[in-house]
Amino acid sequence: MSTENQEQSPDLKTRVQELIDTMINPAVAGHGGYVELIDVQDSRVYLQMGGGCQGCGAADITLKAGIERLLKEELPEIVEVLDTTDHASGSNPYYAAGKA
Amino acid sequence: MARLLLLLPTRTYRTEAFVDAARKLGVDLVCASERPSTLEELSPDSLLTLDFNDPDSATKTVAEWARRRPLDAVVGVDDLTATAAAAIAERLGLRANPVAAVAAARNKYEMRQCLAAAGVPVPRFRRIALSEDPFTAARGVGFPCVLKPLALSASRGVIRANTVDQFIAAFRRIAAILRRDDVTVSGDAAAFLLAEQYIPGLEVALEGLLEAGALRTLALFDKPDPLEGPFFEETIYVTPSRLPDSVQHRISAVAADACAALGLTEGPVHAELRVNDDGPWVIEVAARSIGGLCSRALRFGTGMSLEELILRHALGWPIDSLVRERRPAGVMMIPIPRAGRLGAVHGHERASGVEGIEEVAITAHIGQELVPLPEGWQYLGFIFARADTPDGVEKALREAHAHLRFEIT
Repeated sequence: MSTENQEQSPDLKTRVQELIDTMINPAVAGHGGYVELIDVQDSRVYLQMGGGCQGCGAADITLKAGIERLLKEELPEIVEVLDTTDHASGSNPYYAAGKA
Repeated sequence: MARLLLLLPTRTYRTEAFVDAARKLGVDLVCASERPSTLEELSPDSLLTLDFNDPDSATKTVAEWARRRPLDAVVGVDDLTATAAAAIAERLGLRANPVAAVAAARNKYEMRQCLAAAGVPVPRFRRIALSEDPFTAARGVGFPCVLKPLALSASRGVIRANTVDQFIAAFRRIAAILRRDDVTVSGDAAAFLLAEQYIPGLEVALEGLLEAGALRTLALFDKPDPLEGPFFEETIYVTPSRLPDSVQHRISAVAADACAALGLTEGPVHAELRVNDDGPWVIEVAARSIGGLCSRALRFGTGMSLEELILRHALGWPIDSLVRERRPAGVMMIPIPRAGRLGAVHGHERASGVEGIEEVAITAHIGQELVPLPEGWQYLGFIFARADTPDGVEKALREAHAHLRFEIT
């Protein structure tokens, strides 16, 4: 396995988890949502969104203009934040998409 | 880095495609919605709350915000945001349509007036106050006719009436729709409806891009399912159109005339026209791109999405090609067959396995309350296909849809 593909050092993953716990989840809890850190690989953060975030019409806004922005500001080495959520299985999205 | 403001209603289907396009372009993305994001206080440089129904207020908010964070483009992703986006862009001196033109396109009565005055073929029409007696109002229209709200989209509230009794029933039904909690129209749009001549014929949808007033047709979709009422449910779109080239050119020319009559000059256009022996008739012209997830049926040049094309245009960036891929493509908006709650979806795997099917996206979630037309505005999902011929695309879409079964209780 090349160095590039090796798992990120625990430090970055730990710091991402701390930010999720202290900043992001307390905020998205306001809409009944939560964010779970799946992994950090090659400075890419893999997340899953649950509760009101899963299937929410605004989930991409939360992810790209909110979570990714916040994580990159605090941890500039992060390249990208990727959503691995199965949004189609969300059963209680805060905003259900619908307007054409 | 260029900074882009996207106006994204919280319930639009369009968010993922536009956010993804912005990410690919590497712009500094700012998202505005009509309700606050849970992260707005933590991320004020990229999240905004704007009242899309009040373009003046939205413009003031953004102008103040942009003093420290200059914007390079503003894009509204749908009907709800088009006028606010134009107003904000105009205030900031960015590429946009005139606000009055977008506002006229948002109001079906104003649109009909503009088009008729310019000699663009439109159905005969009449605006009727909801305070009028429907029986009396029905005496002033010819039959068959179509009644519709002035400012809703996705065929919501559009009802054909062949008789006075049907007119009265449709009138009352539209009035009730406009009183629903999930309808956010105001002013004339809440106080009037439009009654217009029913135009028989084939229906097509034109997707276009305006550049300095010139309309470029990006795709022309056939709508092979008959749209004869009483409701006008969108289902299958297939491109390229199978109409003769001469008819397609005429459709593009009439759509361009319609844009010019409205004063639209920049950005995406979605137009719907009927075609019969008298030629094309304009039913709708909207200053936005195609709705739902339908844009996934379109690719340009070497694979550019419609949203990337729109963002590049708004930013004034080069666009390699406005030519759609050669391979025929299509989408089926899966209609809601009846009211109820979605319990389960069966047949997804078999539908996905039909030759030519690229994706079956079920967007309704289990447990969701489903409201069919004319009161509703959502779809169960979308099916996408590509094939060697337009007929092959249509066949694949119908076959895939036949495999799907929705439990609604």
